Amino acid sequence: MKRLRALNHKAHLLEQAATDGHREEVQLMSSVVGCTTTFDPGWEVDAFGGLASLCQPMEADLYGCTDPCWWPAQLADSLNTARDWTDGKNSALRDWRELQTLFPGD
Amino acid sequence: MKPETIKNTRRHLRIAGAVALALGMAGTTPAVAAQDPGREVIDKKCASCHLEDGKLTRIPEVRKTPEGWDMTVVRMGIWHKVELTADERRAVVKYLADRQGLAPSEAAAFRFLTERRPNMQDAPPDEEMAQMCGRCHSYGRVALQRRDEDEWRKLMHTHLGQFPSAEYSALGRDRNWWEIARDKMPGRLAEMYPKNTDAWRDWSRAKHRPAAGRWVVAGERSGWGAYTGTMTVTAKGKDRYEVGYELHFGPGNTVRGKGESLVYTGYEWRGTAQLGNEQTQSIFALSEDGARMSGRWFLRKADEIGATFEAVRADKAAKNALVSVSPQMLRAGETATVTVAGAGLDAKLDLGSGVEVVEWLGKSAEQLKVRVKVAADAAPGVRKVAVGGRESDKSVAVYRRIDSVRVEPAFGIARVGGGTNPPVTAQFDAVAFLDGADGKPGTDDDVRLGSVPAKWSTEPFDERAKHDEDLKYAGHMEPHGQFLPSFAGPNPDRRGLNNVGNLSVVATVADGERSLNAKGQLVVTVQRWNPTPLR
Repeated sequence: MKRLRALNHKAHLLEQAATDGHREEVQLMSSVVGCTTTFDPGWEVDAFGGLASLCQPMEADLYGCTDPCWWPAQLADSLNTARDWTDGKNSALRDWRELQTLFPGD
Repeated sequence: MKPETIKNTRRHLRIAGAVALALGMAGTTPAVAAQDPGREVIDKKCASCHLEDGKLTRIPEVRKTPEGWDMTVVRMGIWHKVELTADERRAVVKYLADRQGLAPSEAAAFRFLTERRPNMQDAPPDEEMAQMCGRCHSYGRVALQRRDEDEWRKLMHTHLGQFPSAEYSALGRDRNWWEIARDKMPGRLAEMYPKNTDAWRDWSRAKHRPAAGRWVVAGERSGWGAYTGTMTVTAKGKDRYEVGYELHFGPGNTVRGKGESLVYTGYEWRGTAQLGNEQTQSIFALSEDGARMSGRWFLRKADEIGATFEAVRADKAAKNALVSVSPQMLRAGETATVTVAGAGLDAKLDLGSGVEVVEWLGKSAEQLKVRVKVAADAAPGVRKVAVGGRESDKSVAVYRRIDSVRVEPAFGIARVGGGTNPPVTAQFDAVAFLDGADGKPGTDDDVRLGSVPAKWSTEPFDERAKHDEDLKYAGHMEPHGQFLPSFAGPNPDRRGLNNVGNLSVVATVADGERSLNAKGQLVVTVQRWNPTPLR
């Protein structure tokens, strides 16, 4: 980390956690069942059990997650599973209300 | 008949015969099985792809819960456009869960996942399993399946083919993840969760007691409190039942309802019911001897809102079978009215040292109601309750003062709602504790007393939440500890944010003149678009 400098808030958080000796406490997936904390970032919660390291607002990056199949357990992945999920809904910021949930009711 | 049609008919007959043979291994004769609607779905729909050299492929090699099979069947619809009616879907899930399900002991550790209990943490057995499986979905989703090594390996290939980003989630940038996934994990998983087990062999061969009959039930709905009542179950066909409920939450709050249920795998009860004005769903498990039932019921459109459930069969065989004791907290030096619910109860009640029954207020086989006096010098702590001379697994706790309070869950999730996603609320409880032998709060030997009334409030969790005014936007806390999140969608009043928030949940509990506080954390986060029954 000697030659790397934190530029954004997420990077500062990571740097601070490592500096404060909390590296071991940042346990991936120590969060609530079904919520993901994997970096890149997490979907619902970040690795610190908060929101500060997530993409904000989510809608701005939603298709950046669904197109490359980034959170297939939480979202439709339009790479393989639901290729037409975003058809006619070109802007997630505008059209998010129209997006359908994947799992059909019984 | 045209030659082409004859050819197709012969082909279908061959397929049906082969499928009958393949599934005959599961213990059914082809003639009987052909009448099963679930079997017909396999013959007509699944076998179109899952047949090789006259044998079914993949399907016979896996065992799962009813929800696990349902997710498989739905997946075939989404991935491969298999079209099933609602009846066909139910039938094939029933057929497979009955013949290739999990024994009660195999599903026991992950019932919280099956029951959709909110805000639970699951614990993978080690870092390797957590990294490979638990970074996208719960570990329990894995642990509720049984396969042999080759079949676990096929699951790895399926993940790679269907979800290529698994490479990144499984730390593919830092290690040769695929070699681990392909070569190491299948063997480990087959050792932990093999297809053939003694537990399943014994369970699948045994005869199981039908659920029909009268049951005495009890449970607790967070925010409402404890309830007791009855459930009357009437058989309406093989494994199918009609159900009537009468639940007493307290004076003047009785909820009645009717519904139906289907029992899978000899013990997995799945029901729907209208309770009062609420549409509910139940996920219970019959005990191996069929004398008890336990699980959770919840709102059909909001599975995070629900209640625990426990039941004992109220038949002639029942003998001092307790289902609840209420209240569970008794203060030293005071008197209280204690109600014991169960089946086959004898009017002989022992609530432990220092707790004396001073008056009988009611005696029946299903309920004992007494006035008790708790000695001023009664030792604080838990006492097992005994009825008819038989100690039960129910207890009462004596306390002088509440030593500490905890907010449960300590870390909760709510989700903003809108569009096709209803909001997901978060319910919190304040739970009282004694310090235990070490005299310190927050340690392993603390004695849990039970849920207590609290005043609820919220605060920004940290400086970032304060700066972003999360408190103002994320939603609001109801007086009974339920947090109602805000609307989904970008909020133009918040620069670059929607209505997510990171809050502290504060419970203030009065204990006589004293006031105790406890904090939990609430993350109000974004919606999910894949609401599978196992997450």
